[in-house]
Amino acid sequence: MSSSNKRQSVLPKVPSGPKAPVNFGSHVTIADSAILTGSHTINISSESVIHPRARLESTYGRITIGRRCIVHERTHVGAPSSDDKRGDFGVLTEDYVVVEVGSIIESGNTTIGEGCHIGPRVTIGKGAKLGKHCTITAKSIIQPGEVVPDYTVVYSNGLRRTDKRGLEILKAKAQARQIEILRRLISSNPAKFKD
Amino acid sequence: MASFTPYAYIQCPCVDSVPGSRSPDGASTPTSHSSPEDDERDFDPRSPRSNYSLYPIEYMLYCEDCHTVRCERCVTEEVVTLYCPSCLFEVGNSSVKTEGNRCTRSCFQCPICIGPLSVQSLESTPAAPEPSLLSADHATATGPAGPWILCCSYCNWNSSEIGVKFDKPQGIFAQLSKLRSGYDNHHSRYTSSGDGDTYPTKRDADGEPGSTKARFASLKSFYQTQMSNENPNSGLGSTMDYGYGSPGALSRIMSLYSGNTLSSAKPKSKPTIMREADTTKEGLFPAKLDDTSVMSGLRSAGYDGTATRAQVNVQVEEGARFATDLWPIPYVLRTKRTKRCPSCRHILSKPEAKVSNTRWRMRLIAGNYIPSITIKPLIPVGAPGGPTTHLLTPVKPVQYLLTFKNPIFETIKVTLATPAVTPGRFASKVTLLCPQFQIGANSDDYNLDEVLKDRDKDPQRKRSDTTGQQVEAGKEWDSGRNWVSVVVEVVPSSIQIEPKPTILKKLGEVDDLGPLREDEDIVEIPIFVHLEWEASADQVTGKDREDKETKEKKELAYWCALGIGRISPE
Repeated sequence: MSSSNKRQSVLPKVPSGPKAPVNFGSHVTIADSAILTGSHTINISSESVIHPRARLESTYGRITIGRRCIVHERTHVGAPSSDDKRGDFGVLTEDYVVVEVGSIIESGNTTIGEGCHIGPRVTIGKGAKLGKHCTITAKSIIQPGEVVPDYTVVYSNGLRRTDKRGLEILKAKAQARQIEILRRLISSNPAKFKD
Repeated sequence: MASFTPYAYIQCPCVDSVPGSRSPDGASTPTSHSSPEDDERDFDPRSPRSNYSLYPIEYMLYCEDCHTVRCERCVTEEVVTLYCPSCLFEVGNSSVKTEGNRCTRSCFQCPICIGPLSVQSLESTPAAPEPSLLSADHATATGPAGPWILCCSYCNWNSSEIGVKFDKPQGIFAQLSKLRSGYDNHHSRYTSSGDGDTYPTKRDADGEPGSTKARFASLKSFYQTQMSNENPNSGLGSTMDYGYGSPGALSRIMSLYSGNTLSSAKPKSKPTIMREADTTKEGLFPAKLDDTSVMSGLRSAGYDGTATRAQVNVQVEEGARFATDLWPIPYVLRTKRTKRCPSCRHILSKPEAKVSNTRWRMRLIAGNYIPSITIKPLIPVGAPGGPTTHLLTPVKPVQYLLTFKNPIFETIKVTLATPAVTPGRFASKVTLLCPQFQIGANSDDYNLDEVLKDRDKDPQRKRSDTTGQQVEAGKEWDSGRNWVSVVVEVVPSSIQIEPKPTILKKLGEVDDLGPLREDEDIVEIPIFVHLEWEASADQVTGKDREDKETKEKKELAYWCALGIGRISPE
């Protein structure tokens, strides 16, 4: 067996829907293997990073990713919800949002506030509204339609507390640096999605 | 419910060691219900006490000297090493006595979510490192500086929320305890106004020793001075100088010997009444009856500002009510322990003393000495002619295979005994088809080819068995090199709750018609296992050794509880 032979995935191929109309800002880093599907527009603002195999689905509404956001691997932004009532838009994440590995954000007027950190394997229900600088720790679930106030930390199976660190500026700076490094590590190919 | 796994628990003999115990031999007549004394000998796996003596074989140890199984409840333990689970540093015995059982380095738990805390600089990290090469001295020069805080990376709590910052990133424990006593001294949140306070000026002047430790120290010193003031020349005033050298003791002894010349002449002085501590300096801690500040705190902070019960319980000092009273928790030390047999003090398990080493120097696991029991249905669920569900149908006989596997290098003779019906409200009938059999010896130098041949042979035999042949009473179902399978037949009772027919009732017996209790629908069979084997005699010291080459007969008996399955409610 030659080493150039690429190992085939044993998983069935992800059914890729129709190619979504996209709208990229400047300096967007988006991996070749990211999946952008759906019929509505997907907006990705400047300097955001979309990791490989992240899935952005605009079938159920428009998706807007703010500036300097990081969307990690195997996330599903704009996932279908249990009821198929559609909102005015799908998902809106403001600036400096991090969506970590394996998280699911349901579509339907879902808003993620500025500087939110969504941990690994989190589920954010349809129509939930996260305030600014919230932290949702790993595997937490935000119920559909829930409103989470600013600076809330959701931890330990849904306990809540207020973050009083006041490190927003610091965090934003760190994120900018992280994006700088990610830009070098992830081979970006925005042209693939544009036409 | 559907996924019930059959289990076999072994009863530890330590239940017998309670007063009014039975001899192990007396337990061999488990079905006799003639008198209340005999009832005690019966083993009921459902009795509340059995919960504490039944263990899976993996949990049990074995004493080679007493030839019995030992459970984790009856072994005696000795601490080998104390260590911090966070930094894995070994802590000496003496320092535990003086410092307490908590890590005195920089290991802390978050008071909110008990996650580990890390030390971080409060100052922003130095400007983004230049992509150019950094020399070593340059790196140290730009290291983070300034006040340090403890941060929880999970719930984002940090120590600046309670106003705690550190000057150095090392020795947090010492810094924190210093801060804490200082904080308590000047902490006047709840005692701020001083209205209605008896000692407002005094408190302000002296400073209130807040922590329990400081209060105890001041109380102790106060009462010591009180006692020495009370009778300064007795020498016994203070417990410290209680010796023959003290002048008080000497004069006492002299008066004893020289007759009652001096002491009788002196009238016995009335003991002076000792004064109690009445200032905070002396250790008095007045109760805070004025709750207005607490209530205003509640009003401003709200429910989120209060501490939960769980958070208060893990605090080192008690009395926290608000989230701002919660301090970082130093890690509680853990131990490595040696386990000894309770009767012969023989070591059953001994871990390596080093913290980082997870191996054992000695570990006598019961699984290496007594046969393991596995249970499975004779005809598997879903097989043709077999049951369709995992639940047992009432009044329909089912057969189960008990497989005994011999771990020792001797042939074991096994005798089993069960009561004819299971104890409890729903009595299922139990029949052991082969209560006596022999298991071949285990050996580590067997020929692999033979084993494989055995396996090739087996399937044919099994197939013929399951299709046509009936299970025969008195014969083992199947056997291999060091294992034997026997069949047990169970007729599950119906779990309908209905009064017992009067004809079957004993005198004065009352029906228990309560609703179905937890796990009462499980068929659990008490089974008495008696093992007999010949071991090479213990190589005792002396000249006996030469002529003691003969084999010695060993026996071991214990109760087991076999969980077979759940009865379906229909």
